[in-house]
Amino acid sequence: MNEELQKPHQPTDTPLDVLDGQGLRDLVEAAMVWLKTNQQTVNALNVFPVPDGDTGTNMLLTMQAAYQEIANSTEKNIGKIAHAIAQGALMGARGNSGVILSQLWRGFARALDNLDTMDTETFVKALNEAKNTAYKGVVRPVEGTILTVAKDIAAASEQVLGNAHDLKTALEVVVKAADESVKFTPELLPVLKQAGVVDAGGKGLFFLFEGMLRRLDDLPLENPVTSVQPLSAMNLAETMETIEPGQDYEVVVDFQPSQSLDLEKFYNDLSQMGTSIQVGEGDGMYRMHIHVPTENRYAPIDYTMKIGTITKVSIENLIAQMEQIESRQETQINFNPVEPGQIAVVAVSPGLGISKIFASLGVAAIVSGGQTMNPSTEEILHAFENLPTDKIIILPNNKNIIMASQATESMTVKNVRVVPSTSVPQGLSAMLRLNPEGDFDKIVLEMNEALTEVETGEITVATRSVEINGVHVNEGEVIALHNGKLVDSTDTLEKACLNLLEKAGTEERERITLFYGNNITKNQVNEIVNSIRSKYPNHEIELHEGGQPHYQFILAIE
Amino acid sequence: MREKSNPIGNIYISPRAIATIAYYSALETYGLVGLAAKNLAADLANVLVKDPNLGVDVDFKGGSVNVDLYIIVEYGTRITSVAASVAASVRYQIEKATGLPVGDVNVHVRGLRISNPD
Repeated sequence: MNEELQKPHQPTDTPLDVLDGQGLRDLVEAAMVWLKTNQQTVNALNVFPVPDGDTGTNMLLTMQAAYQEIANSTEKNIGKIAHAIAQGALMGARGNSGVILSQLWRGFARALDNLDTMDTETFVKALNEAKNTAYKGVVRPVEGTILTVAKDIAAASEQVLGNAHDLKTALEVVVKAADESVKFTPELLPVLKQAGVVDAGGKGLFFLFEGMLRRLDDLPLENPVTSVQPLSAMNLAETMETIEPGQDYEVVVDFQPSQSLDLEKFYNDLSQMGTSIQVGEGDGMYRMHIHVPTENRYAPIDYTMKIGTITKVSIENLIAQMEQIESRQETQINFNPVEPGQIAVVAVSPGLGISKIFASLGVAAIVSGGQTMNPSTEEILHAFENLPTDKIIILPNNKNIIMASQATESMTVKNVRVVPSTSVPQGLSAMLRLNPEGDFDKIVLEMNEALTEVETGEITVATRSVEINGVHVNEGEVIALHNGKLVDSTDTLEKACLNLLEKAGTEERERITLFYGNNITKNQVNEIVNSIRSKYPNHEIELHEGGQPHYQFILAIE
Repeated sequence: MREKSNPIGNIYISPRAIATIAYYSALETYGLVGLAAKNLAADLANVLVKDPNLGVDVDFKGGSVNVDLYIIVEYGTRITSVAASVAASVRYQIEKATGLPVGDVNVHVRGLRISNPD
């Protein structure tokens, strides 16, 4: 594809009156490459109809399938090329936007039927036919989508008729109309406005036309374009999220160019050094932002110095910052505030997901710990000492932590009760009985009762060979524990889960809750849950990310 | 009736309500040009009363909502892609509106409509 791009293009200033099949092939390739360059931008906008972030990818795959049909064609007849494109787009149509795109191509091709070349008039006709065909494919066209953009493009293109404009001028009108139409989409589709985005499919269509125009203007297609934006609009915080490997430093330089800035050259030079380039302007001042690898971190500064006067430089290590941001976001748990005199519960939790569930049930503090990572008495004490109440309940959630929890009773003036939960499900079950305003003794009693209402299952991999409870376990086998007792050892997680459920008398129960650990992939989890679902079709099955180490699954059977 | 419990009581959501969500989100999906009665009897009944749940079947088996859709697709579109979009959209809208887990969304393509013979 790169070789294709190197070949000489249509000179910029010669009027482009007609386009033949090869000309269209060239433009479609440019459109595809430009969409590919901006694929992630489009994906990020995807909130409608389903926010799954694949619009850009779907449109690109559709365009690639379309281009595949003509990639090696030497056909000069534009009608035949357009039909091949439409055919390819149809075959490769992926997702909602891909299907719409294939219909646009279908209409476009129909207008070029039996034509050798396309002039401005046919182009306008084809755009209108594309729009008409696309609108026929849906009962209730939702406005504010790619359909609206196609409609606005078709309408705008008609203004070039009768004025002897060449195709490039027509394409310029189309790109401008597409841009404006895309910007207006949030006004038509409330979901977009709520999410603060423009329509993804519409934006994708804009990129396709813009790519064609860039080819005619001989502009590069492999790098996302920078536009100069007002300084106030530069969103540097967001660029942190798009870190690429090897781009370790963020460099921001404020400068005053000694002569007027050639943006395209400036941008191209910068793109040799790094990524995520942004340029902002205000009052003759420019601000340049770039991500660069460690060894290049001074290059943008040296470069900027040559073209103007630098007023301010800042360099930041992105990797370190990213780690901070991530750890802050991930470990953020929102606890219920405790009022004086209320009952406060401290729970020991082995994983972040489980901590969050405890927090959502009203736990006042969490102590990290579990199998092979027992917290100290000190740590547990610290967790509740500063709470503004003297009624404290501790849920150890592991039999090895009960002792340490009880030891805190004699180390504080607060009234501490340990509800000896030996597993996370028991702890959760007890939490459901909490009423922070309730009678302390009564709540403790109820929580103790709740411990017996749930069956606990744990699934893990044996770290050594052993024989317990008459079950022989080889190292590396999957073992299942029911209420802390070994009940099964087998070769797959799935079998272990199913056998465990059977042994725990699941048939008599109503609900299965699974907490999956940090050592299992989402795909594995889904497979196992599916087979549990088909075995227990009448049970309510809940799945949560527990985030615990060692245990692939912790199960609660109620 | 499908129930969801909350601290102050139960919420019951009927299959008809869910079918209506499915019906409207399906109609907004690109490439789908109509829903079809799943059998003759339903078709005849529809002549008498316009049913906002035509071509949608909802049941609650296995702890989740299962939906069957009987659809008409625009001729000249890629049927599998359209069907996949319909299923994704219906699943998303039901889950978003009701919070109930959606199990299967089965899409039955009952016919094609030809508006542009190529």
